[in-house]
Amino acid sequence: MKHLKPLNNKARILEQAAAEDRIEEVVAMSAVAGCTATTDPGWEVDAFGGVSSLCQPMEADLYGCSDPCWWPAQVPDMMSTYQDWNAQATNSADDWRNLGTVFPKDK
Amino acid sequence: MKTTRLRRHAGKLALVAAALLSTQAMAAEQGPSLLQNKCMGCHIPEGNDTYSRISHQRKTPEGWLMSIARMQVMHGLQISDDDRRTLVKYLADKQGLAPSETDGVRYAMERRLNTVEHFDTQLSETCGRCHSGARVALQRRPAKEWEHLVNFHLGQWPSLEYQAQARDRDWLPIALQQVVPELAKRYPLDNPAWAEWQKAKPNADVLPGQWAFSGHMLAKGDVRGVMSVTAEQGDTFKVEVKGAYADGTPFNGSGTAILYNGYEWRGNVKVGDANLRQVFAAVDGEMKGRMFEAEHDERGLDFTAVKEGKARLLAVQPAFIKAGGESEITLVGSGLDGKPDLGSGVEVTEVLEQTPTLVRVKARAAADAKPGQREVAVGALKGVNLAVYDKVEEVKVVPAFSIARIGENGASVPKVQGRFEAEAWGKDANGQPLRIGYLPATWKVEPFNERAVEDEDVKFAGKMQPDGVFVPGGAGPNPERKMMTNNAGNLKVIATLADGGQTGEGHMIVTVQRWNNPPLP
Repeated sequence: MKHLKPLNNKARILEQAAAEDRIEEVVAMSAVAGCTATTDPGWEVDAFGGVSSLCQPMEADLYGCSDPCWWPAQVPDMMSTYQDWNAQATNSADDWRNLGTVFPKDK
Repeated sequence: MKTTRLRRHAGKLALVAAALLSTQAMAAEQGPSLLQNKCMGCHIPEGNDTYSRISHQRKTPEGWLMSIARMQVMHGLQISDDDRRTLVKYLADKQGLAPSETDGVRYAMERRLNTVEHFDTQLSETCGRCHSGARVALQRRPAKEWEHLVNFHLGQWPSLEYQAQARDRDWLPIALQQVVPELAKRYPLDNPAWAEWQKAKPNADVLPGQWAFSGHMLAKGDVRGVMSVTAEQGDTFKVEVKGAYADGTPFNGSGTAILYNGYEWRGNVKVGDANLRQVFAAVDGEMKGRMFEAEHDERGLDFTAVKEGKARLLAVQPAFIKAGGESEITLVGSGLDGKPDLGSGVEVTEVLEQTPTLVRVKARAAADAKPGQREVAVGALKGVNLAVYDKVEEVKVVPAFSIARIGENGASVPKVQGRFEAEAWGKDANGQPLRIGYLPATWKVEPFNERAVEDEDVKFAGKMQPDGVFVPGGAGPNPERKMMTNNAGNLKVIATLADGGQTGEGHMIVTVQRWNNPPLP
C-alpha cells in the first residue's frame, strides 16, 4: 500500500482499516452462507460487515455489474448465462421493478 | 471429434423426437431412458447407463436439480417439470450422498441463510467468495471432475479472475494444483460411507405411520403435533400435520412428500395459508430438519419427529422453569406412558393432558431448587432436559448475525424479514453457563455504527415489530435518501427481557435483493 494513495473516501476507510489490521476480523464475522462479503466489493455486505462501502443505489450501475458477471451467484450474469435478463428493464434506474428471479420454477 | 459431433447431432434428433411425445408419455419414462433421451445429446455414453460428467458425480437432490436447471438455462435442454422431477429422483437415488456425508452442511438444504460458515481459508477464498461453501461440500467428485468445475467456472464467468484476486496472484495454478486435489481428497467420489449406505439404506415403506413432532419457529414459539404419513407410488407420500403452537395457534395442514436416496425427505405441506417445504433427514425412525415457507424461507421452524413404535421422549416445551415459579410444561414424544417426572426440586402439581404423544402438566419449582439441568422422564423414557434457573445472567439475540433484504415496492422479489428471539443464559449451581431458553422480550433496532447514524439507517431500512419480526423497507432507489441510495442499513438488534429488563444485542444487515436464488445458496 505504500506506493498507492487512496483517491476517495471508501479507499481511505479501507486503508485505515488495513493499517489497524481490522479487515480480517470483520471478514471472518460476515462469512454468511451465500453472501459475498469478501468479493471486491461484496454484493450484500462490504469488507467491514456493513453496507456503507457497497455500490448504492445498486440500480445506478446494475448492468455494469451483471454484464461482466460481477456477482453471478446473486445477480444474473448477462454475459454468458442470462443475456435477456433485463429485456423488460433496459433502464435499470427506472425499470428495476421488471427484473425477476431466474432459477427455473416448477410449474 | 467427428464422432462426438455426430453423436451430438444424433442426440439433437433424439431431443426433437422426444419433444414430439406427449408430456404424459414423457412422465412415464424412467431414469435410464430419460438420461438417454435428454442428456446424450451432449454427454457421451460410457456404457451400462453411464455418461460423461454425469456419472462421475454425486449430489443432493437440490444439487441435481441445480445441475439440470443449469442445463436448461445454459445449454437449451428442453425438459418438462415432470421429467425433471423423475430425473432428479433417479440421479439423487443412484448418485446421492450418505447421511454422514451431509453432516454439518445440511443448513444449505434447510435454507438457514444466516449461518456463518467456517471453512478453511483456501476453500473460502476459492469458492465461498461468491456462493456458500456448503454448495461445494455437498458434492462428491474425483479430481478430474473438480478440475472440470474450475475450468467451467472460468469459461462461464471470466471476471471471477478478479474475485480470485488475479491482480495480486497467479490464482489458476493455485485452484488447479492445490484446491482441486484437496477437494478430491476431502469430497471424493468413492467413499466407504457411500458404499455402506447403498447397502444399508432402508426402503421407503419404513416411513408410513404416525410421527410425533416438536418444533420451534423464531418469533412465534414452540409447536408440536402429529404428522401422518401414507404411502403413495414411487417413494412418494401423502402427509397430514395436526398440531398447535404453544400459544394455541393451530398447525394443521396436508400435502405430499418424496423420499430420495433412502433418507432425504422433501415435502410440500399447506398449513393455513402458507406453503411449507419440508427438508428432513429421515434416519432410524427419526426425522430432523426444517420446515419453511416456499416463498419466504426465513420463516421456518426447526423440526424433529419420532415414529410410533419407537418409544422416545423428544422434547420439553418450554425446556426451562424458574426456581420458585409455576408453569405449564409439555412433553412431546412417541409411546409416552407412565408418570412424568421433572427432576429434583420440580413438582408436577397436575397432569392436564396425557396421550401417547403428549403429556401436558402444571409444574412448580421450589424456591430453593438448585439451578441446573434436570433429566426429565415419562415412565422409563428419558433423554431430554429441563433447565431450572434462578436468574438471568446474559441475553443473546438469536440469530446473532443476520441478513434481511429489501424487496417488493412494486417488484416481484419478496422482502426477506429478520426474525429474532432473546435467548437467556444463567448459571448452574457450579457456576457454569446454563442455557435457559427463549424468554419474552421487547425489541428495537439502533444504528450499528457512526456511519449508520449519519445515513439514518434506522429511519429507512425497515421496521422492527413488537414480536421480534423485522420488516425491511421497499426495494429500489430511495429519492429521500442521500444519493438516492437503497433502503439498506447496518443495525443493532436489541432485546430487552420483559421480566427483569436485561438486554442483549445482535447485528443485522439489511441489504439489497438477490435475483439468482437456487435451492442451495
